[in-house]
Amino acid sequence: MSTNEDLAALLPRVALGDRAAFEGVYRASCAHLLGVAFRILNSRERAEEVLQEAFMNVWHSAGGFDASVAGPMTWLINIVRNKAIDALRSGKTERASTLALDEEAMAVAADARQQPQALLERSLEKLRITGCMGELGAPQRQALALAYYRGMVHTEIAETLGAPLGTVKGWVKRGLDKLKDCLEAAGVRRDSPA
Amino acid sequence: MNYLLPERLERLAREYALGTLAGPARRRFERLLRQAPAAMRAVGAWQERLGSLASAVPPMQPSDSVWRGLEGRLFASPAPRGPLRWLWSVLSVRALGGALAGALLFAVLLRLQPGLIGLEPQSDALPQSYVGLLLDSAGKPTVLASSKRHGTVMTVKLLQPVAIPAGSVAQLWALPKDGSAAFPVGTVPGSGTATVALADTSEKLFFDVTRLAVSIEAAPAKAGDKPSGDFVLSGHCVKLW
Repeated sequence: MSTNEDLAALLPRVALGDRAAFEGVYRASCAHLLGVAFRILNSRERAEEVLQEAFMNVWHSAGGFDASVAGPMTWLINIVRNKAIDALRSGKTERASTLALDEEAMAVAADARQQPQALLERSLEKLRITGCMGELGAPQRQALALAYYRGMVHTEIAETLGAPLGTVKGWVKRGLDKLKDCLEAAGVRRDSPA
Repeated sequence: MNYLLPERLERLAREYALGTLAGPARRRFERLLRQAPAAMRAVGAWQERLGSLASAVPPMQPSDSVWRGLEGRLFASPAPRGPLRWLWSVLSVRALGGALAGALLFAVLLRLQPGLIGLEPQSDALPQSYVGLLLDSAGKPTVLASSKRHGTVMTVKLLQPVAIPAGSVAQLWALPKDGSAAFPVGTVPGSGTATVALADTSEKLFFDVTRLAVSIEAAPAKAGDKPSGDFVLSGHCVKLW
Protein backbone atom coordinates (compact mmCIF):
# COMPACT_ATOMS: atom_id res chain seq x y z
CA MET A 1 0.00 0.00 0.00
CA SER A 2 1.45 3.41 -0.89
CA THR A 3 1.74 6.25 1.60
CA ASN A 4 -1.08 8.03 -0.18
CA GLU A 5 -3.37 5.02 0.11
CA ASP A 6 -2.47 4.68 3.78
CA LEU A 7 -3.22 8.33 4.37
CA ALA A 8 -6.49 8.19 2.46
CA ALA A 9 -7.61 5.36 4.73
CA LEU A 10 -6.41 7.05 7.92
CA LEU A 11 -7.74 10.59 7.47
CA PRO A 12 -11.45 9.69 7.68
CA ARG A 13 -10.68 7.89 10.94
CA VAL A 14 -8.91 10.98 12.24
CA ALA A 15 -12.09 12.92 11.49
CA LEU A 16 -13.88 10.56 13.87
CA GLY A 17 -11.36 11.27 16.61
CA ASP A 18 -9.19 8.16 16.23
CA ARG A 19 -5.89 9.02 17.93
CA ALA A 20 -4.05 5.97 16.60
CA ALA A 21 -5.00 6.97 13.05
CA PHE A 22 -3.81 10.51 13.78
CA GLU A 23 -0.43 9.21 14.92
CA GLY A 24 -0.34 7.03 11.80
CA VAL A 25 -0.85 10.09 9.59
CA TYR A 26 1.82 11.97 11.50
CA ARG A 27 4.40 9.16 11.31
CA ALA A 28 3.78 8.57 7.61
CA SER A 29 4.08 12.20 6.55
CA CYS A 30 5.98 14.25 9.15
CA ALA A 31 9.47 13.91 7.66
CA HIS A 32 8.34 14.92 4.19
CA LEU A 33 6.24 17.80 5.54
CA LEU A 34 9.03 19.10 7.77
CA GLY A 35 11.28 19.12 4.70
CA VAL A 36 8.74 21.27 2.85
CA ALA A 37 8.37 23.72 5.76
CA PHE A 38 12.14 23.90 6.26
CA ARG A 39 12.75 24.92 2.62
CA ILE A 40 10.41 27.88 3.12
CA LEU A 41 11.48 28.97 6.59
CA ASN A 42 15.15 27.95 6.53
CA SER A 43 15.04 27.26 10.26
CA ARG A 44 14.44 23.86 11.83
CA GLU A 45 12.95 25.41 14.96
CA ARG A 46 10.41 27.50 13.07
CA ALA A 47 9.65 24.65 10.67
CA GLU A 48 8.91 22.34 13.62
CA GLU A 49 6.61 24.96 15.13
CA VAL A 50 4.76 25.17 11.83
CA LEU A 51 4.56 21.38 11.59
CA GLN A 52 2.98 21.21 15.04
CA GLU A 53 0.47 23.95 14.21
CA ALA A 54 -0.34 22.21 10.95
CA PHE A 55 -1.09 18.93 12.72
CA MET A 56 -3.33 20.76 15.19
CA ASN A 57 -5.29 21.74 12.10
CA VAL A 58 -5.20 18.21 10.74
CA TRP A 59 -6.75 16.89 13.94
CA HIS A 60 -9.47 19.53 13.99
CA SER A 61 -10.28 19.63 10.31
CA ALA A 62 -9.65 16.12 8.99
CA GLY A 63 -13.38 16.06 8.23
CA GLY A 64 -12.68 18.71 5.60
CA PHE A 65 -10.42 16.37 3.64
CA ASP A 66 -12.18 15.58 0.38
CA ALA A 67 -10.44 12.97 -1.76
CA SER A 68 -12.34 14.21 -4.81
CA VAL A 69 -10.67 17.64 -4.54
CA ALA A 70 -7.08 16.66 -3.74
CA GLY A 71 -5.04 13.64 -2.70
CA PRO A 72 -4.19 13.20 0.99
CA MET A 73 -0.51 14.15 0.71
CA THR A 74 -1.46 17.18 -1.38
CA TRP A 75 -3.97 18.17 1.29
CA LEU A 76 -1.33 17.85 4.03
CA ILE A 77 1.35 19.69 2.04
CA ASN A 78 -1.13 22.46 1.42
CA ILE A 79 -1.83 22.92 5.14
CA VAL A 80 1.89 22.96 5.94
CA ARG A 81 2.82 25.28 3.07
CA ASN A 82 0.06 27.75 3.99
CA LYS A 83 1.18 27.79 7.64
CA ALA A 84 4.82 28.15 6.63
CA ILE A 85 4.03 30.97 4.21
CA ASP A 86 1.99 32.78 6.87
CA ALA A 87 4.81 32.31 9.41
CA LEU A 88 7.38 33.50 6.88
CA ARG A 89 5.44 36.65 6.05
CA SER A 90 4.42 37.51 9.60
CA GLY A 91 7.99 37.09 10.86
CA LYS A 92 9.67 38.93 8.02
CA THR A 93 9.56 42.42 9.50
CA GLU A 94 10.79 41.20 12.86
CA ARG A 95 13.72 39.29 11.40
CA ALA A 96 14.68 42.07 9.03
CA SER A 97 15.25 44.35 12.01
CA THR A 98 17.10 41.84 14.16
CA LEU A 99 19.15 39.77 11.74
CA ALA A 100 22.38 41.43 10.75
CA LEU A 101 24.06 40.43 7.54
CA ASP A 102 26.03 37.71 9.25
CA GLU A 103 27.37 34.46 7.90
CA GLU A 104 24.06 32.69 8.18
CA ALA A 105 22.26 35.38 6.23
CA MET A 106 25.01 35.43 3.61
CA ALA A 107 24.77 31.66 3.23
CA VAL A 108 21.01 31.87 2.82
CA ALA A 109 21.33 34.62 0.24
CA ALA A 110 23.90 32.68 -1.77
CA ASP A 111 21.79 29.57 -1.56
CA ALA A 112 18.53 31.31 -2.36
CA ARG A 113 18.81 31.04 -6.10
CA GLN A 114 20.61 27.74 -6.57
CA GLN A 115 18.99 25.36 -4.14
CA PRO A 116 15.33 25.81 -5.18
CA GLN A 117 16.35 25.39 -8.79
CA ALA A 118 18.15 22.14 -8.02
CA LEU A 119 15.02 20.89 -6.22
CA LEU A 120 12.90 21.80 -9.21
CA GLU A 121 15.20 20.01 -11.62
CA ARG A 122 15.16 16.86 -9.46
CA SER A 123 11.35 16.96 -9.20
CA LEU A 124 11.02 17.37 -12.96
CA GLU A 125 13.31 14.39 -13.47
CA LYS A 126 11.20 12.27 -11.14
CA LEU A 127 8.09 13.34 -13.00
CA ARG A 128 9.85 12.71 -16.33
CA ILE A 129 8.95 16.12 -17.66
CA THR A 130 12.45 17.61 -17.75
CA GLY A 131 12.41 17.75 -21.54
CA CYS A 132 9.00 19.37 -21.74
CA MET A 133 9.82 21.94 -19.06
CA GLY A 134 13.16 22.55 -20.75
CA GLU A 135 11.23 24.50 -23.37
CA LEU A 136 10.95 27.22 -20.73
CA GLY A 137 13.81 29.64 -20.28
CA ALA A 138 16.00 29.30 -17.20
CA PRO A 139 14.57 32.47 -15.59
CA GLN A 140 11.02 31.12 -15.85
CA ARG A 141 12.01 27.90 -14.13
CA GLN A 142 13.97 29.82 -11.53
CA ALA A 143 11.04 32.12 -10.77
CA LEU A 144 8.73 29.14 -10.35
CA ALA A 145 11.22 27.39 -8.06
CA LEU A 146 11.65 30.46 -5.83
CA ALA A 147 7.89 30.88 -5.48
CA TYR A 148 7.20 27.23 -4.73
CA TYR A 149 10.13 26.14 -2.58
CA ARG A 150 10.88 29.46 -0.88
CA GLY A 151 7.36 30.88 -0.62
CA MET A 152 8.51 34.10 -2.27
CA VAL A 153 6.05 36.65 -3.66
CA HIS A 154 6.56 38.35 -7.02
CA THR A 155 8.40 41.36 -5.60
CA GLU A 156 10.89 39.16 -3.74
CA ILE A 157 11.54 37.05 -6.82
CA ALA A 158 12.10 40.23 -8.83
CA GLU A 159 14.61 41.41 -6.24
CA THR A 160 16.41 38.05 -6.08
CA LEU A 161 16.67 37.69 -9.84
CA GLY A 162 17.22 41.40 -10.52
CA ALA A 163 14.33 41.57 -12.99
CA PRO A 164 11.38 43.98 -13.36
CA LEU A 165 8.22 43.01 -11.45
CA GLY A 166 6.02 42.75 -14.55
CA THR A 167 8.53 40.46 -16.23
CA VAL A 168 8.67 38.21 -13.18
CA LYS A 169 4.89 37.94 -13.04
CA GLY A 170 4.94 36.80 -16.65
CA TRP A 171 7.70 34.27 -15.93
CA VAL A 172 5.77 32.75 -13.04
CA LYS A 173 2.58 32.54 -15.06
CA ARG A 174 4.32 30.94 -18.02
CA GLY A 175 6.13 28.55 -15.70
CA LEU A 176 2.84 27.41 -14.18
CA ASP A 177 1.07 27.13 -17.52
CA LYS A 178 3.94 25.04 -18.85
CA LEU A 179 3.94 22.84 -15.75
CA LYS A 180 0.22 22.19 -16.27
CA ASP A 181 0.74 21.32 -19.94
CA CYS A 182 3.73 19.09 -19.26
CA LEU A 183 1.98 17.20 -16.44
CA GLU A 184 -1.06 16.67 -18.63
CA ALA A 185 1.03 15.55 -21.59
CA ALA A 186 2.89 13.09 -19.36
CA GLY A 187 -0.38 11.81 -17.93
CA VAL A 188 0.69 12.77 -14.41
CA ARG A 189 -2.38 14.89 -13.84
CA ARG A 190 -4.68 13.40 -11.29
CA ASP A 191 -8.24 13.14 -12.56
CA SER A 192 -10.07 15.96 -10.90
CA PRO A 193 -13.82 16.44 -10.97
CA ALA A 194 -15.21 18.86 -13.53
CA MET B 1 -15.93 42.08 -7.82
CA ASN B 2 -17.09 38.73 -9.14
CA TYR B 3 -14.30 36.34 -8.19
CA LEU B 4 -16.02 33.44 -9.86
CA LEU B 5 -15.51 34.57 -13.46
CA PRO B 6 -13.58 31.60 -14.87
CA GLU B 7 -10.50 33.52 -15.95
CA ARG B 8 -10.22 35.49 -12.73
CA LEU B 9 -10.88 32.42 -10.63
CA GLU B 10 -8.19 30.48 -12.47
CA ARG B 11 -5.64 33.25 -11.91
CA LEU B 12 -6.48 33.60 -8.20
CA ALA B 13 -6.51 29.82 -7.67
CA ARG B 14 -3.13 29.49 -9.37
CA GLU B 15 -1.55 32.29 -7.36
CA TYR B 16 -3.13 31.16 -4.11
CA ALA B 17 -1.91 27.58 -4.55
CA LEU B 18 1.60 28.74 -5.43
CA GLY B 19 1.65 31.25 -2.58
CA THR B 20 2.28 34.40 -4.60
CA LEU B 21 -1.17 35.74 -3.69
CA ALA B 22 -0.34 37.69 -0.54
CA GLY B 23 -1.73 39.97 2.14
CA PRO B 24 -5.41 40.94 2.27
CA ALA B 25 -6.05 39.45 -1.20
CA ARG B 26 -4.95 36.06 0.15
CA ARG B 27 -7.28 36.35 3.16
CA ARG B 28 -10.20 37.42 0.94
CA PHE B 29 -9.64 34.48 -1.35
CA GLU B 30 -9.49 32.11 1.66
CA ARG B 31 -12.94 33.35 2.69
CA LEU B 32 -14.22 32.73 -0.83
CA LEU B 33 -12.75 29.22 -0.74
CA ARG B 34 -14.92 28.32 2.23
CA GLN B 35 -18.05 29.37 0.38
CA ALA B 36 -17.49 28.49 -3.27
CA PRO B 37 -16.95 24.85 -4.26
CA ALA B 38 -15.82 25.98 -7.73
CA ALA B 39 -12.97 27.95 -6.15
CA MET B 40 -12.06 24.99 -3.96
CA ARG B 41 -11.89 22.71 -6.99
CA ALA B 42 -9.77 25.17 -8.96
CA VAL B 43 -7.32 25.49 -6.08
CA GLY B 44 -7.33 21.72 -5.52
CA ALA B 45 -6.30 21.10 -9.13
CA TRP B 46 -3.38 23.53 -8.82
CA GLN B 47 -2.33 22.16 -5.45
CA GLU B 48 -2.24 18.71 -6.97
CA ARG B 49 0.00 19.89 -9.82
CA LEU B 50 2.30 21.83 -7.52
CA GLY B 51 2.33 19.05 -4.93
CA SER B 52 4.21 16.94 -7.45
CA LEU B 53 7.07 19.45 -7.15
CA ALA B 54 7.48 18.56 -3.47
CA SER B 55 8.57 15.01 -4.28
CA ALA B 56 12.26 15.90 -4.48
CA VAL B 57 12.37 17.83 -1.22
CA PRO B 58 14.68 15.90 1.13
CA PRO B 59 12.75 14.59 4.15
CA MET B 60 13.75 15.77 7.63
CA GLN B 61 12.85 13.78 10.71
CA PRO B 62 11.23 16.10 13.28
CA SER B 63 12.49 15.93 16.85
CA ASP B 64 10.39 13.93 19.31
CA SER B 65 9.24 17.12 21.00
CA VAL B 66 6.95 17.94 18.05
CA TRP B 67 4.82 14.84 18.57
CA ARG B 68 4.97 15.13 22.37
CA GLY B 69 3.85 18.75 22.08
CA LEU B 70 0.95 17.74 19.87
CA GLU B 71 -0.16 15.07 22.30
CA GLY B 72 0.08 17.52 25.16
CA ARG B 73 -1.86 20.23 23.38
CA LEU B 74 -4.56 18.00 21.95
CA PHE B 75 -5.12 15.27 24.46
CA ALA B 76 -3.96 16.47 27.83
CA SER B 77 -5.69 19.82 28.28
CA PRO B 78 -6.70 20.39 31.89
CA ALA B 79 -10.32 19.51 32.50
CA PRO B 80 -12.59 22.00 34.19
CA ARG B 81 -13.61 21.22 37.74
CA GLY B 82 -17.10 20.31 38.80
CA PRO B 83 -19.78 17.80 37.98
CA LEU B 84 -19.33 18.09 34.23
CA ARG B 85 -15.65 17.15 34.40
CA TRP B 86 -16.19 13.61 33.11
CA LEU B 87 -18.19 15.01 30.22
CA TRP B 88 -15.37 17.33 29.24
CA SER B 89 -12.98 14.43 29.28
CA VAL B 90 -15.25 12.55 26.91
CA LEU B 91 -15.44 15.59 24.67
CA SER B 92 -11.74 16.28 24.79
CA VAL B 93 -10.91 12.96 23.16
CA ARG B 94 -13.42 13.83 20.48
CA ALA B 95 -13.80 10.10 19.96
CA LEU B 96 -17.35 10.55 18.93
CA GLY B 97 -16.89 13.29 16.40
CA GLY B 98 -18.66 16.63 16.41
CA ALA B 99 -22.16 15.45 15.68
CA LEU B 100 -22.23 12.59 18.11
CA ALA B 101 -20.58 14.65 20.83
CA GLY B 102 -23.25 17.28 20.24
CA ALA B 103 -26.02 14.75 20.69
CA LEU B 104 -24.36 13.35 23.79
CA LEU B 105 -23.84 16.74 25.36
CA PHE B 106 -27.41 17.59 24.56
CA ALA B 107 -28.69 14.45 26.24
CA VAL B 108 -26.56 15.01 29.32
CA LEU B 109 -27.55 18.62 29.68
CA LEU B 110 -31.16 17.66 29.37
CA ARG B 111 -30.73 15.27 32.27
CA LEU B 112 -28.98 17.90 34.36
CA GLN B 113 -31.13 20.80 33.30
CA PRO B 114 -34.37 19.51 31.85
CA GLY B 115 -35.86 22.98 31.78
CA LEU B 116 -33.25 24.15 29.30
CA ILE B 117 -35.41 23.63 26.28
CA GLY B 118 -38.69 23.40 28.09
CA LEU B 119 -38.75 19.63 28.24
CA GLU B 120 -41.10 18.28 30.88
CA PRO B 121 -39.07 16.70 33.67
CA GLN B 122 -41.19 13.56 33.76
CA SER B 123 -40.71 12.82 30.07
CA ASP B 124 -38.00 10.28 29.24
CA ALA B 125 -38.13 10.66 25.48
CA LEU B 126 -36.18 13.46 23.87
CA PRO B 127 -38.36 15.59 21.60
CA GLN B 128 -37.59 15.71 17.92
CA SER B 129 -35.14 18.59 17.72
CA TYR B 130 -32.36 20.22 15.81
CA VAL B 131 -29.15 20.40 17.81
CA GLY B 132 -25.91 22.21 17.10
CA LEU B 133 -22.64 22.14 18.99
CA LEU B 134 -20.30 24.92 17.96
CA LEU B 135 -16.58 24.66 18.67
CA ASP B 136 -14.03 27.42 18.87
CA SER B 137 -10.85 27.44 16.79
CA ALA B 138 -9.12 25.28 19.37
CA GLY B 139 -11.90 22.71 19.09
CA LYS B 140 -13.45 23.46 22.48
CA PRO B 141 -17.26 23.17 22.68
CA THR B 142 -18.55 26.72 23.06
CA VAL B 143 -22.19 27.07 22.04
CA LEU B 144 -24.97 24.52 22.35
CA ALA B 145 -27.95 25.44 20.19
CA SER B 146 -31.19 23.49 20.19
CA SER B 147 -34.71 23.92 18.93
CA LYS B 148 -37.71 21.64 18.72
CA ARG B 149 -38.41 20.34 15.25
CA HIS B 150 -41.66 22.25 14.85
CA GLY B 151 -40.83 25.04 17.30
CA THR B 152 -40.12 28.67 16.47
CA VAL B 153 -37.54 29.42 19.15
CA MET B 154 -33.96 28.31 19.55
CA THR B 155 -32.23 28.03 22.90
CA VAL B 156 -28.54 28.80 22.97
CA LYS B 157 -26.25 28.07 25.87
CA LEU B 158 -22.69 29.31 26.12
CA LEU B 159 -20.44 26.55 27.40
CA GLN B 160 -17.58 28.98 27.74
CA PRO B 161 -17.63 32.78 27.41
CA VAL B 162 -17.09 34.33 23.98
CA ALA B 163 -15.28 37.67 23.72
CA ILE B 164 -17.55 40.06 21.81
CA PRO B 165 -15.91 43.46 21.17
CA ALA B 166 -17.90 46.48 22.39
CA GLY B 167 -20.30 47.68 19.72
CA SER B 168 -20.36 44.27 17.98
CA VAL B 169 -22.63 41.26 18.12
CA ALA B 170 -22.02 37.52 17.84
CA GLN B 171 -24.17 36.53 14.87
CA LEU B 172 -25.34 32.94 14.48
CA TRP B 173 -25.56 31.64 10.88
CA ALA B 174 -27.01 28.49 9.35
CA LEU B 175 -25.06 26.86 6.52
CA PRO B 176 -27.10 24.74 4.09
CA LYS B 177 -25.86 21.34 2.95
CA ASP B 178 -25.76 22.33 -0.72
CA GLY B 179 -23.16 25.03 -0.12
CA SER B 180 -25.59 27.88 -0.79
CA ALA B 181 -25.19 31.12 1.14
CA ALA B 182 -25.33 31.10 4.93
CA PHE B 183 -28.42 32.75 6.38
CA PRO B 184 -28.67 34.59 9.70
CA VAL B 185 -30.50 32.92 12.59
CA GLY B 186 -30.07 35.42 15.43
CA THR B 187 -27.51 36.79 17.82
CA VAL B 188 -26.01 34.96 20.77
CA PRO B 189 -24.81 36.45 24.08
CA GLY B 190 -21.20 36.31 25.26
CA SER B 191 -22.14 34.02 28.16
CA GLY B 192 -25.11 32.38 29.84
CA THR B 193 -28.17 31.29 27.91
CA ALA B 194 -30.61 33.01 25.58
CA THR B 195 -33.70 32.31 23.55
CA VAL B 196 -33.67 33.30 19.91
CA ALA B 197 -36.97 33.85 18.10
CA LEU B 198 -36.83 32.14 14.71
CA ALA B 199 -38.23 33.53 11.47
CA ASP B 200 -40.08 30.24 10.84
CA THR B 201 -40.30 26.75 12.30
CA SER B 202 -37.04 24.90 12.82
CA GLU B 203 -38.17 22.27 10.37
CA LYS B 204 -38.49 24.82 7.57
CA LEU B 205 -35.31 26.68 8.43
CA PHE B 206 -32.93 23.86 9.26
CA PHE B 207 -34.13 20.89 7.23
CA ASP B 208 -31.21 21.25 4.79
CA VAL B 209 -28.76 22.83 7.23
CA THR B 210 -25.75 20.76 8.24
CA ARG B 211 -23.63 23.37 9.99
CA LEU B 212 -24.03 26.38 12.26
CA ALA B 213 -21.44 29.08 12.72
CA VAL B 214 -20.91 32.37 14.53
CA SER B 215 -19.19 35.48 13.21
CA ILE B 216 -18.60 38.84 14.87
CA GLU B 217 -20.64 41.57 13.15
CA ALA B 218 -21.09 45.29 13.68
CA ALA B 219 -24.86 44.85 13.88
CA PRO B 220 -27.37 41.98 13.86
CA ALA B 221 -27.63 40.55 10.35
CA LYS B 222 -30.85 40.84 8.36
CA ALA B 223 -32.26 38.33 5.89
CA GLY B 224 -30.07 38.34 2.79
CA ASP B 225 -26.97 39.56 4.64
CA LYS B 226 -23.72 37.62 4.36
CA PRO B 227 -21.06 37.06 7.06
CA SER B 228 -18.59 39.93 6.86
CA GLY B 229 -15.61 38.00 8.18
CA ASP B 230 -14.33 34.66 9.37
CA PHE B 231 -16.39 32.40 11.60
CA VAL B 232 -15.13 32.38 15.17
CA LEU B 233 -17.20 29.30 16.06
CA SER B 234 -18.62 26.54 13.93
CA GLY B 235 -20.02 23.06 14.24
CA HIS B 236 -22.44 20.45 13.01
CA CYS B 237 -26.21 20.84 13.07
CA VAL B 238 -27.91 17.49 13.49
CA LYS B 239 -31.46 16.17 13.62
CA LEU B 240 -32.22 14.48 16.90
CA TRP B 241 -34.71 11.90 15.72
